[in-house]
Amino acid sequence: MNNTETSTKKKYPRHTEKVMKGNFAAAEAAKICKAGFIPAYPITPQTTIVEELAEKVGSGEMDAAYVNMDSEHSVFAAAMGSALAGERVFTATSGQGLFYAHEVLHAIAHFRLPMVVCNVGRPSIPWNIWSDQSDSLSQRDTGWIQFYGESSQEVLDTIIQSYILSEKLEIPVFVVLDAFYQSHTSENVWIPDQDLVNEFLPPKQLKGTEINPDKPIAVGGLVQPEHYGKFNYDFWIDINRVENLTNQIGEDFYQKFGRKYQAVEAININKDTKIILVTISSITTTAKGVIQHHPEVGILKIRLFHPFPKNSILEALKDVANDTLLVAIERNFMGDKVGAMMQELREAFYGERYFKMIDVFTGQGGKDVPPITIEKIIYKAKNNPEDVIWIDME
Amino acid sequence: MLPAMEFLIKDEKVFSGGLSCRGCGWSLLVRHLSSILGENTVYVVPASCFSIIAGPYPLNEIKGTIVHTIFAAAPATATGIRHTLDRQGRKDTNVVILAGDGGTFDIGFQALSGAASRGENLIYLVNNNGAYMNTGIQTSSATPYGAVTTTNPNSNFKKKFPKDLMGIIAAHNIPYAATASLAFMEDYRAKIKKAKEMEGFRLLMVDGPCPPGHKVEPANSIQVARLAVESNLYPLFEVEYQNYKVNYRPTKQLPATECMKLQGRFKHLFKEENKHLLEETQKVTDYNWRRLLALEKLSVEFVL
Repeated sequence: MNNTETSTKKKYPRHTEKVMKGNFAAAEAAKICKAGFIPAYPITPQTTIVEELAEKVGSGEMDAAYVNMDSEHSVFAAAMGSALAGERVFTATSGQGLFYAHEVLHAIAHFRLPMVVCNVGRPSIPWNIWSDQSDSLSQRDTGWIQFYGESSQEVLDTIIQSYILSEKLEIPVFVVLDAFYQSHTSENVWIPDQDLVNEFLPPKQLKGTEINPDKPIAVGGLVQPEHYGKFNYDFWIDINRVENLTNQIGEDFYQKFGRKYQAVEAININKDTKIILVTISSITTTAKGVIQHHPEVGILKIRLFHPFPKNSILEALKDVANDTLLVAIERNFMGDKVGAMMQELREAFYGERYFKMIDVFTGQGGKDVPPITIEKIIYKAKNNPEDVIWIDME
Repeated sequence: MLPAMEFLIKDEKVFSGGLSCRGCGWSLLVRHLSSILGENTVYVVPASCFSIIAGPYPLNEIKGTIVHTIFAAAPATATGIRHTLDRQGRKDTNVVILAGDGGTFDIGFQALSGAASRGENLIYLVNNNGAYMNTGIQTSSATPYGAVTTTNPNSNFKKKFPKDLMGIIAAHNIPYAATASLAFMEDYRAKIKKAKEMEGFRLLMVDGPCPPGHKVEPANSIQVARLAVESNLYPLFEVEYQNYKVNYRPTKQLPATECMKLQGRFKHLFKEENKHLLEETQKVTDYNWRRLLALEKLSVEFVL
């Protein structure tokens, strides 16, 4: 079949458009990124990612070692071992699984091992399996880079970009998607052809720091206080490079694939903007619809959450007036007076800009955030805004 | 009898200056293990005395690769390494876990069971010295009945018998599991060689001398290990697909007290008021031995 002729007419050449759920887009991304090791353990709502990968490996569609582990703790420990030996690793988890792996997350990040892992966000006890970002946001300080995808397309594209970023910096990356609203919801997704992905993301190059039986070394031995800080210093140098690299890789990706991604996305933000909703993940899409009726309201979508993209945010807001009201939307609860987004925003603006900011808790434990809730948030913000609002309690 | 005319270790793979205590079993067992396995070996080490003995960053006591990993997941870390080396065409590389009893019987137990259940192609060596010795002698589920530790001090000594790890691991129906003692070096070395030649999940449990933890004179380390075998406190046997084989039968079984009296951790049991506890220990030791002989008779050929 002559692909060239027909494909040039497509919205995205060298792609195939498919209807698929978010979890399947994530699995597809792992395949086209040629992940070679997949340790797996089921947890709702992530399970269909590892099921789909098992199918792909079992059918021969994907060349990888797929291992059913005994827990998420072991999943991440096996991922660590494989990455130490130089493999491109992928796995996925959610909620309690992520919490259980917490110890290993630190080890992977501080061993400076590249890998990309999908987390399908859900909260902790009391039992709840629905959309919430408390799990991944509470792992902020483990050293992992964190991206939040607004759509299945964005999840797939972000996984591809994350391997470049992760392998360049030797820092692991989480790509987070919303439970059910994304994981189990079908959307149109453009799947790039394998050769197109190959051109952008070559096979993993060994750096010589991997374990190699021909050149025996000891990895991870007790580090004395004299040396310990140097490891953190080197990590700090590289974590400071994440934001710029994210934007650069996003630009490169745009050139190759035709879809543009940056650390943040500014929607309807200009000198006339009066209110800015600060969002992550699929709530952004709902808010985009609602602000069609509110020309004075803009959206600041945070795609790279950790490290928090301070410079990109300041740049996106450079034209807005100082009396603009910022509304942080929190689908998380950190057991604190304000949510994770508000904490990060305050830190980003400190000494740079002063904005009146309010914090809105909504969508907790998967509660739907339909357009009417966004309308309520905008109404509240305009009329006697309180510092902290729990919008779903009314 | 003439002293041995040559050393067993022909090709030393361990550098001098290891950080073990005097009379510790780790150095001796690793010297023999590494000389047999060779340099094409990756050792995966969870938190244990050996984490320290192997040397701080960036040192390496062994001519071979060492990966220090988290306490609870050495077999899982090793699983990732194994599969990746296999995909790199390095099926010839040995991947070996070196763990203590705490990392095996307790915190690492799930990861051990997982790796054994999956039939991972790994060798697991547990140096069973009967307590968390690296942190300073705290009770583990491998701690013997009657022993004193810092978390079972004085009259609050350990009142439970250790769990039957060999029975549990044998129930995973793995190709090879064996006990070994540093006082029976030919037997230990033969078991390493046997394990090396096999594929699948293999486990060796070595009775680990620990002078500070057992309150034993360092010079008596090997003698105590020998008495443990001669008294049936620590029988030497191997299990292939749940088939037991006893490797050493004492010509005259010594009383358990012969081994225990050299260890300060059992000192209180020798008081008159605790005489019944020593008798209990002897009874359980005899029961375990009789049960082992019965298991040996049960042998059914494994057919795949």
